[in-house]
Amino acid sequence: MRALRRVLLASSLALVAGCGVLPPLPDAVPEDIAPTVEPSLVAHGSENLSPDGFDAVQRMAVRIRNVGCAGLSTGSGFAIDEHTLVTNRHVVADSEVLQVSTYDGRDIEVTAASTAALADLAVVRTDEPLPSYPELADADPTAGDPVTVVGYPEGGALTVTQGEVIGLTTDPLNENLGEVLVTDAPVEPGSSGSAALDEAGRVIGVVYAKTSDGRSLLIPLSTVQELLSDAGAFTDLPPCS
Amino acid sequence: MSQASQPPVWQPPPGAPSPQAVPPPVPSPVPAPARARRRGSRAPVVVLTLLLLAALGVGAYLWLTTVRWQEDSARWEERAREQAAEVTALQAELDGVNAELVAAREQLATATGRITELADEKAQLGDETVAAQRYLDYQTRVTEAAGVVATALGQCTQAQSQLIGYLENREAYDPADLERFAGDVQALCDQANEANEQLQQELRQ
Repeated sequence: MRALRRVLLASSLALVAGCGVLPPLPDAVPEDIAPTVEPSLVAHGSENLSPDGFDAVQRMAVRIRNVGCAGLSTGSGFAIDEHTLVTNRHVVADSEVLQVSTYDGRDIEVTAASTAALADLAVVRTDEPLPSYPELADADPTAGDPVTVVGYPEGGALTVTQGEVIGLTTDPLNENLGEVLVTDAPVEPGSSGSAALDEAGRVIGVVYAKTSDGRSLLIPLSTVQELLSDAGAFTDLPPCS
Repeated sequence: MSQASQPPVWQPPPGAPSPQAVPPPVPSPVPAPARARRRGSRAPVVVLTLLLLAALGVGAYLWLTTVRWQEDSARWEERAREQAAEVTALQAELDGVNAELVAAREQLATATGRITELADEKAQLGDETVAAQRYLDYQTRVTEAAGVVATALGQCTQAQSQLIGYLENREAYDPADLERFAGDVQALCDQANEANEQLQQELRQ
């Protein structure tokens, strides 16, 4: 009899303890099971795009037509602010009229031009706002750094070429103060005044010449900044005679 | 074995001396009362009944739980199928949108390329226009110069004819005047010839 009671007691305890491990009733199925936090959508390939599909590198470049007393020539340039262009002195020299056009063929009227005596640099002012202008890099590039040149070689279509910085050299043309950069980015006559950019699209120099072995010569950023910061470094462009 | 088979135990009254002080009572072989035996035999039945009821309750709960889980599972499956259908539809829509995006990118690249070409064509036309204008200006200047040269040569010819007329009737004129006139004609013709030579050199360039 005592064993029966123990069995009953054990059964009762087991029954009570078993209630603790019984599965609970399921919760009601929610009507909306979509996650409350929406996934973030990141567009790829549109980092540098503008509303018209051209990237900032192309939008800042301009084509310069020099209608001079001796003839017609073309060169390149780029904006450094909304109304200021930088190009080479020899691009604007001996000009009767300077005509500037943008990447999309829009003509920009030139209001003034001035040239530097210590480097093959010139500054051109415009009345109308320019489409885009890049930032200047923090320092001159070093050998091996990638370089992008955007301009109008041979006075043709807007072209973007790639290369890398080879090093520094003394100016073979004796046009510039100090050393100049040598790169293997392809350039042609008409590329003079083109902006040379780093990977981030910042200006690292200005194309001003091409060597006989096909390399391009750049006025380094430090020289450009030094002259731009000196108000007396540029004098008004004399009219052609 | 069971406590129900033992006789009831005497309990000392309150205030009585403790059991340690009194020798334990010796159980007497008195037979258990019949009522106590019945109560003792009913207890397992009651417990078993309670256990049965509890087991039934647990069974009912388990059945209810099973049914509810089945219903819940069915609802979840339905939701899952709805979501799967929606995902499939969205995936198809996404594929379509991606295809449109690729096409739009290609069209954009074509459009930007065409804009670049048009800008270049406009620039080339501008160059040609400027060059043509310069050539036109040059032609105008040459034409004007040719006209001046022709006029000068004509004046030279006219002056020489006039000088020949004077020389045919030289007695009628002062020789000094004739000589001065001849010098003026020569100077005029020299200037005309020089202008003509410059024009010819310009045309040869």
